[in-house]
Amino acid sequence: MSSLGSLLVLAALLASVVGAALAFAGGARKVPAAVEWARRLAYAFAALLLAANVVMEVALLKLDFSVHYVAEVGSREVPMWVRGVSLWSSLEGSILFWGLVLGVYVVLGARTLKRFPREEPWGLGVLLACGTFFAFLIAGPASPFGTVSPVPPDGPGPNPLLQNSPLMIIHPPMLYLGYVGMVVPFALAAAALFSGKLGPALLQSLRRWTIVPWLFLTVGIILGAWWAYDVLGWGGYWGWDPVENAPLMPWLTAAAAVHAMLVIERRKVLRGWAVGLVLTSFLLTILGTFMTRSGVFNSVHAFSQSNIGPTFLTFLALCLVFSVLLLALRMDKLGRPGNLEQAVSREGFVVLGNLVLVVIMLTVLLGTVFPLIAQAVEGIQVSVGEPYFDRMTVPLAVAVLFLMGIGPALPWGRSGAQEWKPLIASAVAGAVLAALGLVLGARDPWLLVTLFAAGLTLHVTLVEMFRPVAQRLKHGRGLVAALKDELGAGRRRLGGYLAHLGIVVALVAVGVSHVGKLENDVTLTQGQSAAVGHYVFKLGGIRTVNEPQRQRLVAHFDVLRDGKPVGALEPALNYYFTQREPIGTPAVRTSLTDDFYLSAMSVDPGSGTVGLRAFVNPMVGWLWVGALIVAAGLLLAGWPRGRTAEAAALEAEAQGASVPSAAPAEPA
Amino acid sequence: MKAGILIGGLVVVGALVAVLYSGFGHDPRAIKSPLIHRTAPDFSLERVDGKGTLSLAQLEGKPAVINFWATWCDPCKEELPVLLQAARGAKGVQFVGIVYEDDPANIENALARHGGAAYPTLIDKGGHAAIAYGVAGVPETFFLDRTGHIVAKFPGPLEPDELQGYLAEIRGSGS
Repeated sequence: MSSLGSLLVLAALLASVVGAALAFAGGARKVPAAVEWARRLAYAFAALLLAANVVMEVALLKLDFSVHYVAEVGSREVPMWVRGVSLWSSLEGSILFWGLVLGVYVVLGARTLKRFPREEPWGLGVLLACGTFFAFLIAGPASPFGTVSPVPPDGPGPNPLLQNSPLMIIHPPMLYLGYVGMVVPFALAAAALFSGKLGPALLQSLRRWTIVPWLFLTVGIILGAWWAYDVLGWGGYWGWDPVENAPLMPWLTAAAAVHAMLVIERRKVLRGWAVGLVLTSFLLTILGTFMTRSGVFNSVHAFSQSNIGPTFLTFLALCLVFSVLLLALRMDKLGRPGNLEQAVSREGFVVLGNLVLVVIMLTVLLGTVFPLIAQAVEGIQVSVGEPYFDRMTVPLAVAVLFLMGIGPALPWGRSGAQEWKPLIASAVAGAVLAALGLVLGARDPWLLVTLFAAGLTLHVTLVEMFRPVAQRLKHGRGLVAALKDELGAGRRRLGGYLAHLGIVVALVAVGVSHVGKLENDVTLTQGQSAAVGHYVFKLGGIRTVNEPQRQRLVAHFDVLRDGKPVGALEPALNYYFTQREPIGTPAVRTSLTDDFYLSAMSVDPGSGTVGLRAFVNPMVGWLWVGALIVAAGLLLAGWPRGRTAEAAALEAEAQGASVPSAAPAEPA
Repeated sequence: MKAGILIGGLVVVGALVAVLYSGFGHDPRAIKSPLIHRTAPDFSLERVDGKGTLSLAQLEGKPAVINFWATWCDPCKEELPVLLQAARGAKGVQFVGIVYEDDPANIENALARHGGAAYPTLIDKGGHAAIAYGVAGVPETFFLDRTGHIVAKFPGPLEPDELQGYLAEIRGSGS
């Protein structure tokens, strides 16, 4: 098993090295046959890594403890599904799985590039060069395929935290799909810089391939937050941990890039800026991976100390230098830098929004690496906690909310006093929401400003979302037909506004849950009760549940809300036989207005006492709803257009024409 | 070509890579104790063997090794023979064990298994001494010079040669 796996990885390494060399050489010397072979080697690279992953899966499921990685994370005690997902439960396996995801993206990227003969060699070269690095990592510094001798009879099993929730099946793959997926827009953007042209068809591909990883990052981030909330038991969902900041940073720059592309479509400016943002998004995914896997950062789930740090830093440095050189040398070729004719216009607000998103990213980056800077410069140990991040990001997030409202209300290209009129109604909507918050007890000034901005943006978004439908209805089309048009031709637009809607919902949920959180830490014996907010909870009893890999101590609480019974909650402590410290499973009752959250800290069946933390978290449920809406919006906005539309764009490019501007306005 | 992007970009890249590189070789989880170079917090605790209490003042100006441990902690049990052996051989250094969240019977058993106590072991009821010393987890060991100042703190189980290094340090300092 071990040698077969190693062999497959080495073959993948060879395929990517030779492929990258052929692609770059073929591009420089204009040899189509070399590029053809590079493409075939890209497919071979993906197939070989797929095979290596299959070998590892078989070894994990069959518990072949002679394989190094299986000996590290396998266990006879854990259920079959845990064995299967152990592939991404520890460092080496996750990098191997990373390789599989990269293989899939290399194939998808290669297929996209086939339509752009001028850019194809450069794009393929970049994809395969990244492939070379990861194949090298899997073959050498992070090899999961080493042999273990003598073969141990059993292993420790994966980290119990990961066994504790089915969310762990889905959260890491989503995040990887987001992280690794940035390689495709990176390759397309680099190819555009090499060839010196970013035409409408390539811009469309670049846009769509930026949305794909952006969508997966959204899902991955929110599943991570949900996992932290549902499993870790500290009552919150976000702690500004490096592992949380890592995917947030490329998410922010990808958002900025996609919006900048809207301006390119309409005004033919900002090409270099947008391409720079795409390159930055990819670099931030590599930085993020470095953060969580190098052992340099202190993080809740940084992988254990490992020797891949220096290799990764080398790769990061190479990518950074490559990107800077490429941008500096070739950016001019993409077209005139250009000026916006009107600052107060939709494009003006897109640019402003871009700047704010980048500033948020830099703020998060600074806070994350600050402990390293302090250590290097002053030799002191500091950590940058929530207060820094909250103080810095709250005003910036509120600014984003306002820009999301005002921008789409303004037309492209022109501005005048009359353009601001529709915003009066929206401002009234904002005032209504803020007043509602005030009535319900919100007193925090930032929360009230957030609610005002949210109300304003919500109004603008809904009006803009249904404007085309309303117009079509006015022109005599039926409601069903109008909605169908909107989902067809207006899909991009609808998706964009839907994503805005989701962000508004999510940010309101974040603000309200942050400000309105209630907590009570108590120790109760059987029959005793305590209260937090309008909830009362009474300890009914403790029972012990024995499972093959763990023992669970489950505390039963009857819960009353405003004096009425609303059911039972059963927080538990799980004692894994391979782990000294128990791991809790909090119990949460979600409702439209708030979550009631119980997390057991200690359970003593002997004396019948339970120490626990009880929280009331207002509106947390809406965070998940908002994120779901964002994901749905991005899915809609990124969904491939039909072949005919694609062909039209290619034809337009061939004729040197611009993208048809008859399409309805995009959200800013 | 854009010289500004080139120069600015390379400066930023260089700074970022240098900062990230500086992170290697530091354990981000190791937290230095703010107690280093300060007078050790005093304590007066009951001995496990029932021979009354022991306080820091009673150590009479000897360098001291204070080890926080418990029998439910596997690394502590691995470390115990290292400490016992060093204590039997070390002249002029006072070893003290402080037990964290454990009961005397377990302690007596563990000590008996390694040839009996070589130094006093104290019970920290309510964990007040552990709190005063800022113990984040067991085992954790503090090294005091003869003036009662904390010279060093070691988190995790000590290896024999590491322990000898610290012993040499506290014997030599504070005189």
